[in-house]
Parts: sequence; C-alpha cells; structure tokens
Amino acid sequence: MGRNLKFNIFRYNPLDSRSVPHTDSFSLEETDSMTLFIALTRIREEQDPSLQFDFCCRAGICGSCAMVINGRPGLACKTLTRELPDEITLMPLPVFKLIGDLSVDTGTWFRAMNEKVGSWIHTDKTLDPDAHEERMDNALAEEIYELERCVECGCCVASCGTANMREDFVGAVALNRIARFMLDPRDQRKEREYFEVIGTDEGIFGCMGLLACEDVCPKELPLQDQLGILRRKMGWSAVKHLFRFG
Amino acid sequence: MAIDTTIYDRSSGVSSAILDWLQMLTGAGLILFMWSHMVLVASVNLGAGAMNTLARFFEDTYMAQVGGPLIGATFLLHFILAARKVPFRTEQQSTIWKHTRALHHLDTWLWLVQAFTAMIILIMGSIHMWTVLTDLPITAAKSAARIQGGFWLVFYLILLPMVELHVGIGFYRIGVKWGFIKRSNRKGLKRFENILTGIFILIGLITIIRFMTLSI
Amino acid sequence: METEFSDLLCIGAGLAGERVAVEAASQGFKALCLSLVPPRRSHSSAAQGGMQAALGNCAMGEGDSPDVHFEDTVKGSDWGCDQEVARLFVETAPRAVREMAFWGIPWNRVVPGKSTYFKGGKQYEKVEAKEKEGLITARSFGGTAKWRTCYTSDGTGHTLLYTMDNKVVELGVKVHDRMEAISLIHDGETCMGAVVRDLKTGKLRAYLAKATLIATGGYGRIYRETTNAVINEGAGAIIALDTGIVPIGNPEAVQFHPTGIVPTHILVTEGCRGDGGTLLDVNEDRFMPEYEPEKAELASRDVVSRWMIHHIRRGLGVKGHYGDHLWLDIRHLGAHHIKTKLREVEEICNNFLGIDPITQLIPVRPAQHYTMAGVRTDKDGAAYGLKGLFAAGEAACWDLHGFNRLGGNSLAETVVAGKIVGEKIAEFLKGYEVSFKTSVIRDCMVRDLERIERLVSCKDGNEDVYRIRNAMQDELMDRVGIFRNGTDLQKAVDNLEEIYERAKKVGIRSNWIGASPELTLAIKIQGMVRLALCVAYGALKRTESRGCHAREDFEARNDRDWLNRTLATWKEGDSLPTLNYEPASRVIALPPGSRGYGESKIISADEETSEEA
Ligand SMILES: Cc1cc2nc3c(=O)[nH]c(=O)nc-3n(C[C@H](O)[C@H](O)[C@H](O)COP(=O)(O)OP(=O)(O)OC[C@H]3O[C@@H](n4cnc5c(N)ncnc54)[C@H](O)[C@@H]3O)c2cc1C
Ligand code: HEM
Ligand code: HEM
Ligand code: SF4
Ligand code: F3S
Ligand code: FES
Repeated sequence: MGRNLKFNIFRYNPLDSRSVPHTDSFSLEETDSMTLFIALTRIREEQDPSLQFDFCCRAGICGSCAMVINGRPGLACKTLTRELPDEITLMPLPVFKLIGDLSVDTGTWFRAMNEKVGSWIHTDKTLDPDAHEERMDNALAEEIYELERCVECGCCVASCGTANMREDFVGAVALNRIARFMLDPRDQRKEREYFEVIGTDEGIFGCMGLLACEDVCPKELPLQDQLGILRRKMGWSAVKHLFRFG
Repeated sequence: MAIDTTIYDRSSGVSSAILDWLQMLTGAGLILFMWSHMVLVASVNLGAGAMNTLARFFEDTYMAQVGGPLIGATFLLHFILAARKVPFRTEQQSTIWKHTRALHHLDTWLWLVQAFTAMIILIMGSIHMWTVLTDLPITAAKSAARIQGGFWLVFYLILLPMVELHVGIGFYRIGVKWGFIKRSNRKGLKRFENILTGIFILIGLITIIRFMTLSI
Repeated sequence: METEFSDLLCIGAGLAGERVAVEAASQGFKALCLSLVPPRRSHSSAAQGGMQAALGNCAMGEGDSPDVHFEDTVKGSDWGCDQEVARLFVETAPRAVREMAFWGIPWNRVVPGKSTYFKGGKQYEKVEAKEKEGLITARSFGGTAKWRTCYTSDGTGHTLLYTMDNKVVELGVKVHDRMEAISLIHDGETCMGAVVRDLKTGKLRAYLAKATLIATGGYGRIYRETTNAVINEGAGAIIALDTGIVPIGNPEAVQFHPTGIVPTHILVTEGCRGDGGTLLDVNEDRFMPEYEPEKAELASRDVVSRWMIHHIRRGLGVKGHYGDHLWLDIRHLGAHHIKTKLREVEEICNNFLGIDPITQLIPVRPAQHYTMAGVRTDKDGAAYGLKGLFAAGEAACWDLHGFNRLGGNSLAETVVAGKIVGEKIAEFLKGYEVSFKTSVIRDCMVRDLERIERLVSCKDGNEDVYRIRNAMQDELMDRVGIFRNGTDLQKAVDNLEEIYERAKKVGIRSNWIGASPELTLAIKIQGMVRLALCVAYGALKRTESRGCHAREDFEARNDRDWLNRTLATWKEGDSLPTLNYEPASRVIALPPGSRGYGESKIISADEETSEEA
C-alpha cells in the first residue's frame, strides 16, 4: 500500500472571466516509481479533465514540464513522488506568461531569447556540399556539447531572483548559450560583438551570483563556471576597450 | 527578459561593465579596510598601549585624517553602485521576498541578507564614522568610555554582526561572480567563508568585552 | 475569422518540418511552421543514438559507401521500401550530415590511435587513422554492416533539432507554437492550407498556403506502451485520412523497440547494445546468441524485439510488478564509458527507476517505437491525391523504411527528405498560383466549429474520451503488437469498430473555455480510432510476415503475393478503411533475398504453389 498523497495545485484559467486564482487539492494513492507525470495524468483523467499542464517527452529530455514543485522549479516528469513529502504543492513557473493552471508560455520567451543572443553560427563562409567537413578536435566538440545540452526548460530563469525582479534580465540560459558559441570556432563573431549582446546589466553584469540557476538546472549544466568565465571575459573586454578608445 | 523586439540603444557602451568593476573593487577595498580596521580595534586586546600606538601611527602619518574621509567616500560610492541592484520598488520587494521564501535556497537568502545588512550599515556606519572622525585622536580610553556608556555597546552589538555578515557574503559573492569560486570548490570555500565570518564576529565580541572591562 | 497566409505551411516543427521550411525560406519563399509545442520540444529531440550517413571516416566504417548503406536499408526494410527513394537517400545523407556540421552540430570526431570497444560483452581493440583525425566519426547500430551512425554523445536528436531551429531563427521563419491543425482545407483536388486550433486560447484560425506540408512525426500514442512523446497522437495522419483521398501507406508497419524501460517505456538507446550491452533473462543468461549466432543483440530491432517476446513466452522473463520483462546489462562497459558516452541512459535509470546501471541491471521490454506508416507521397514528397499537399519525416511514407526502419535512418530521413522535399516544394512554388476559394474555406471552418459545438454541448452523448482512448490503446497493444495472428486481428478489428461507434458519442465533461486538454483530445479521438483501424485492418489483410509485421499464422515473407504497399483511405461514413495495394518499388536494384539475420522463410516471387498454413 502506498502513501496517500495530497496535491495542492494552483488553478487559474485567464480566459474564463469567472475564474480566479486559487488552489485545488487532490488526493491520490502513491504507486511504485510514481513520477509527477504519472500522478498529474491520473488526476486529469480520473478527477478533473480541465486541469492544464504540459508534458511531452515525459523522459526529461524536452524541457516541457518545468513547474514549481514545493517551492523549487524542476522537471515534473523526472520527479519521483517518493522523494517528496505527503503533501505536494505545484505552481506554474514564474516569469513566464501563464496560459492556465500549471501551463506557461515558454515558447515565445525562448524564441525571443534566441533572437536576442543570435543563437546560431555567424559566418561568412559558404558550404561546399561536396568537400570534407571542417575538422574539429573531439575534445572541443564534447565541450561544446556540454553547453548545448540545455533543454530550455526555464528552471534557471524561474529560480533566479534577478530575473524575477527585473524582466529585462536575460537569464543564465541565454548567457550559457553565448558561452556555447564563444567556444565554437565556426562562429566568427568577435568578442566585441558578443559584448554588444551581453556586456550589459541585462546581460552578464546583471547577474548577482545567486546561483539558484546552478542549483536547479535539471540538466546540471555548468552554469556557475560559465557565468564566471563570461564575467571575466566581458570585464576584460571592457577594460581593453576603455584603454584603446577612452 | 522582456519580450520586446525593440533594438536597444546600446550607446551605454561599456558603462555596465565599468560600474560592475567599480562595485567589485569598492567592495573589495572596503573588505580590506574592514580587516585593517579589525586589526586596529582588536589590538586593544593586546593592551590599550598597542591600540594607542597604532592609532597614533595612523594619525601621525595623516592616514586617519585623509584615509577616513576617503573610506567614507568609497563607502558612499559602493553604496551608490550596489544600490542599483537593490529593489526599492515595493512590487519588486514583494516579488523577491516571496520568491526567496518559496525557493529554499541558501545563496538566494544570503543575497537578501546582504541587501538588508547593507541598509543598516549605511545608516549605522555613517553615524559611527562621523562620531569617530569628528573626535580624533583615537585612543583606547575614549573608545572604552564610549562603549561603557551603554548606547554604543548596543550600537556595536548590532552593527558588528551586520558588517561581518555583509563582508563575508560579499567576499564569497565576488568569488562566485568573477569565477574564482567554481562548481568544484564552491562547497569548501563557502564553509571557509562561514568559519571566517564566525571568527571575525567572535574577535569583535571579545574586543567589545575588552572595552567594557578596560579601566578608563 | 483570423487568417494567415504563407507560401508554405509546415504542419510540424520537428526536424523534418523545419528542414523543409529552411529550404523554402532560403529560396525566398515565406514559410511558416505550426507546432503543438515550442519547436525545440518536438519529439526529434528525444533521439539519442545518432543518424546514418556513409562517411567512412572511422576505423570500423572503413570501406563504407552509399552502396553499402543502400543494401543495409533495403534489407532492413525487408524489401518493402521504394528502392529509388532509398538510393536518393543514401546518396544525399553524407551531404546532409556535413551541412548540419556547417550549421553548428558538435558531431563527435575521430580521435586517432588505439581504443577499445565492446561487442557482445567482449572487449576488442581498434586503431583510428591519424589522417582522419577531427573528421566526423560514427558508432555501431543494429542492422548495419559498417559503423555508420554519426552522433553527438547521446543527444544527437537534441543537437540536430536545436541547430535546425537556430537556422529557423536566423532565417526569421515564424513558428506558431501551441497550434494544432485539425483539418486540411481542400476542395477534393487542391490543398489550400489547414484549419488550426490555438492551444492557448481554443480559438480556430485558417492558415492558407500555396503548399502545405505534413511533418507531424510518428503516432505511437495509439498504442498503450510506446517510447513516443505524449503529443505523438497522429494528428497529421488523421487530417490526411479525413480527406478521404489521401492514403496512409503501410499502416500495419509499426516498429517496436527492444529496450523500453519498465514501467514507463522510456527508451534506452540502441547505443547501449551498439556499444556492447547485452540482454539477459531471468537466470541472468545471455540468450540472443542462441537465436542469432552472428549478430546477437545487434540484429535489427524487429528481430531482437521478436526474440525477446519469444523468450518471455518461453517463461524465461523476469516476473515483475508490471508484467514480465528482461534485463539489459551495461555494467561491464564501466563507469567512465557510461558516464560519458551513455550519460542520458544513466540519468534515465537514476531518475525514472531509481537504479544505477553501473552496478545494476535495467528492466526492459519491447515497446512501440516507430511508424513506418504515414501519408503516402511520391519521391518528391508530394502526397497522393491532393495537389499542393506534401509530407516528410516520420509522418510520411516516402517510403524509405518499408516494413522496418534501421536505427539511425529516421533522423537521417528527416534532414535528407527535408532537404529534397524542400527543394521540390520550392520548384513547385515557382510560378504556382492558387486561388483560395472563400466558400471552401468557410465550409471547412464551419464544419470544425460545428464539430466542436457538438462535443462541448454533449449533443451526441457523454462518453468519456479518456476511457475510449485507453480502450483503443489496449486493443492495439494486446492484439496488434509484435506477434500477430488472424484470430486476434479479427477480434481487434471488431472491437475497434465498436470503440469507433462509442468515439462518436464523446462529450466534454469539464470547463472547456480556453485551451481545454479534454477538448483537444476529443477533437481527434475519432480520427485516432480510424487510424487504429487502419493498422489493425491492414495487418489482418496482409497474410505474410515482413519486417516488423510478424504473422504467427503466416510465417514466411511472401514476395509472390505481398511484395507491395498497402494504401489505406477512409471514405466518409464508412466504419472500415478501404485498402488498395501498389508495388513496393518500381525500380528493383537489389532483388529480394535473405536479410542475413532473423528467421528467413521466404516464398519467392517465382514460386507457383502456395504453402499457406
Ligand atoms: C525515444 C526515441 C528515440 C529515437 N532515436 C532515434 C535515433 O537514435 N536515430 C534515429 O535515426 N531515429 C531515432 N528516433 C526516431 C526519430 O527521432 C523520429 O522519427 C524523428 O525525429 C521524427 O522527426 P519528425 O520531424 O518527423 O517529427 P517530430 O520531431 O516528432 O515533429 C513533429 C512535429 O509536428 C508537430 N505536430 C504534430 N501534430 C501537429 C498538428 N496537428 N498541428 C501542428 N503541429 C503538429 C509537433 O509539435 C512537432 O513539432 C527515435 C524516436 C524515439 C521516439
Ligand atoms: C564596510 C562596508 C561595506 C563592505 C566591506 C562591503 C562589501 C561588499 C562586497 C565585497 C560586496 C560584493 C561586491 C560584488 O558582488 O561586486 C558587496 C556587495 C554589496 N554591497 Fe556592500 N559593502 C559595504 C557597505 C555597503 C553599504 C553601505 C551598502 C548599502 C547599500 C552595501 C550594499 C551592497 C549590496 C546591495 C551588494 C550586493 C551587490 C550585488 O550582489 O551585485 N554595501 N559589498
Ligand atoms: C575611517 C573610518 C573608521 C574609523 C576611524 C573607525 C574607528 C573605530 C574605532 C576607533 C572603533 C572602536 C570603538 C569606538 O571608538 O567607538 C571602532 C569600532 C567599530 N567600527 Fe569602526 N571605524 C571606521 C569605519 C567603520 C566602518 C565603515 C564600519 C562598518 C560599516 C565600522 C564598524 C565598526 C564596528 C562594527 C566596530 C565595533 C568593533 C568591534 O567590536 O570589533 N567602522 N571603529
Ligand atoms: S540552463 Fe538548465 S535550467 Fe536553464 S533552461 Fe537550460 S536546462 Fe533549463
Ligand atoms: S540565479 Fe540568477 S543572478 Fe546569476 S548566478 Fe544564476 S543567473
Ligand atoms: S516532459 Fe519532456 S522534460 Fe518533462
């Protein structure tokens, strides 16, 4: 016999004029290896079909299911209920626009982020389709991959006090993305150009080193280290610039 | 991040970076000062003579007369720089407060402590500096008299932990922000920092007790 | 009525949809993608193993060429594929991989010198050539003669999709996410776009386009146990089938993956076995060499899946809370290998099972994995039956995979087909004009509005949509699974017909204002059951075994009668699909023969008498 779990879930349907933000409670008996994916799906199918939440891969790969679980942002599909107390409180991610209940609009935010940081290889080379690929050191490829593992779940943004206070802060995810391209020799952007994007208070100098991003990232990206490297690089870049032109 | 496709006017250039440098440097400068300050004040534990000698040395070399106001200026500058990060709008305050309470995350709490202690330090530190600097020279006897008066005892008992917490957290944060503290050594350095803060508070307390018992 | 216009409407923003959009946009056309989820969350991101392309850079891939790849693919398909398409595919794949490298994929590269690898649990040594240093390397995958699978650690699909979407952002192609196409706008001859439901607000919109592409991925979710994402419910196939004209190719061709973890069916990559992982039974004995002496665990997945079920049926499975299963063993690969090359696998085991694969065995069982079936197109990606309609990726039956897809060939298909079909669409668009007939658009819109109105007002009944979906899933899982036979299939068809009648009586029980997850499912439930009927009925009628379609009552592959492709269409008002057949391939470069693995009972094309059991 499993425990009897109590779920307190934030409810609000912004499109329904009669709806006001409130909390609904549901109870469910815990089963073996129950994840929040299994639990929420069951609640929706057995108790309240109108409950909104997002799952896609249910395997911790796609980043759809981030929500605030007992106060902490995390991926619901890879959260085993057995690691949680009997009472589980679920809230939608802050910072992002609410769609309804636990569902938030990450798509619009991330598209804007990707546009803002120029999340693609900037190059003036053209591809010769019949030539060999450019060579790359395997260790470097793996290093780039390490930073590319981000699933754009938004946990780092939601957990960041700075991002919560200041909506113009780009968040650790964007800074990490820049770090990824700075590593990549195929991207021909100069330090100066990266500086234009993140050498500001909306960028790396807005980060206050709260490290919640580092501590909640479900993919365990090395955010702390990358943020440190970026601040040093951008800091030096500014100093060099000052002496050259100032 | 605001979802806004407006192209920002980036004429601000490197100013954010420079301000961040200055914030860090003033912070680091103040840390150094606080440590020297500790040496000066705590020297009373070695005897009133030790403190007096040190104080006289600073005055004879005009370090107190010039350095004092300079520290005051740094203090002010640091305040102005760091204040850019402090939430002054009530809406932001309530956001960060709710956020921090829900998150159960020590480093976020530490920042809140830092911002809170900063406000206390701003007021109490200014009063304290004014009092000391307008009543030069510094002697162990004068200090002891002040503290034994009672008001200043309470004053320092509040200010001391505020300062040490702020300094300790600030030190850790500089390490994190500029990448000296890494994922690999964060745990160890954080512990080191906590212990250091504890030791400084302890020395401070001993010093206050020493002042209390110093015969004027 | 809100309306959006574009030259190309891509329904789906996974790898295939975005690759096509990128091609069209690069040539100056206005492309627009729709997706149920933000594009980077599309299921392509879940592919871990890698994509195939005959580069021949790594030591174990020496001597590889498109010809070898071609042979592997055709054999893999059990001669069910279109050989012209397969040829086109293998020739283009290397270029597609290099193009992706140019766009930013951090492919793993050749590291010169000695290194060790595992095969079947034993350790071997290989030496990578110095002159190949830094070129794109490859790993081993089931059913291939050479190491040909290019990869980025265990996040190949993820890096491919992120890189593709980066390209989309760079080109400024719009992606409208949380948008679901619920029907195609057409007049019986020309497709003009789609009626789309906004999953944020529940509102309907018309998206009009000169060319419409279906790239909605697979539809594993019509099965109970599947490795697919929860959004893979077949909307693309459904809206095509609903036209009554466009056929679904080979609906009965459904692939199962040998290693879904029990109980959540999350896939652990084939890379586990490629790198030397082994399968064990209840006695912790390795059993695959017994059935497949040569390839053992590396035989193609239909073969491995089948032997696993066979072994379980012999009573050698491990009894568990969620039914019988087998073990996957990767312990001997060592902590370092698992933590670097198979990290995702380690994570999955820790997070979803609470076990440590470095020291413990992983419980696995075959689960539905891939739909070779899909919207039937010609080799240019143009759908049969409607002008201006195209399909690509897993949603399409292009037909590269026939009755069994090789691991690593589907990621490759998305980018290769995406490139080719994109070029063809661009050609099609040049100088093409279509008049959007307002009456047609209005009719389509009104029909969908009415459909929704009936659901929310419970006009036709108040059947619970979830129960109907579950009944359908169970039916397919239990009777149209890995092993099939006439009796079960007939029963499945009968039951599904009954379920179909109930599906028509679904009513919404909850507050449907806004996005309403219940309504979202209810809108497509009938279509899902129709699709399930195509699968079951197609399987019932195909009285042979080919690739993943394994009939216990017709064990032989029958090239005399069944070297063909099923084409299923659905006439309005019918309760069963209409099945037609076309030759599997017009061009036959590689004549049917033995695959070299799996049981091979073959009735060859020139055999006279039937020996049907
Ligand atoms: C767990 C797993 C692992 C795999 N590993 C490998 C591997 O290692 N190698 C390999 O080659 N292949 C692998 N595959 C197969 C391969 O990943 C897929 O076949 C391929 O990625 C499909 O890509 P796609 O672009 O066709 O579809 P998807 O990536 O599934 O994209 C479908 C798109 O359509 C959208 N969509 C769906 N319906 C609608 C609608 N009605 N309206 C609007 N939009 C809609 C979705 O939102 C999504 O954007 C794997 C598959 C799975 C399930
Ligand atoms: C003796 C006095 C002080 C010392 C030694 C000191 C030291 C420091 C240090 C070292 C830092 C870290 C710097 C950085 O992160 O860049 C810091 C940060 C900070 N200080 Fe002070 N400080 C003092 C006084 C004050 C005062 C009077 C204020 C008043 C507002 C203040 C407000 C802050 C704030 C808000 C931060 C955090 C800034 C951030 O996280 O970005 N400090 N301080
Ligand atoms: C130039 C400036 C300063 C001078 C000359 C100075 C001097 C002194 C002296 C002489 C004392 C002994 C007690 C007394 O005489 O009242 C003292 C104590 C103290 N000062 Fe300062 N101070 C300065 C700046 C500061 C600042 C900026 C802070 C912190 C914000 C600070 C915090 C304290 C504290 C907490 C004590 C109690 C010390 C203890 O118990 O160790 N001082 N200071
Ligand atoms: S960096 Fe981590 S927490 Fe942030 S979006 Fe990426 S995966 Fe999520
Ligand atoms: S939590 Fe926020 S403040 Fe910086 S260190 Fe992480 S981005
Ligand atoms: S559903 Fe994909 S990460 Fe949770």
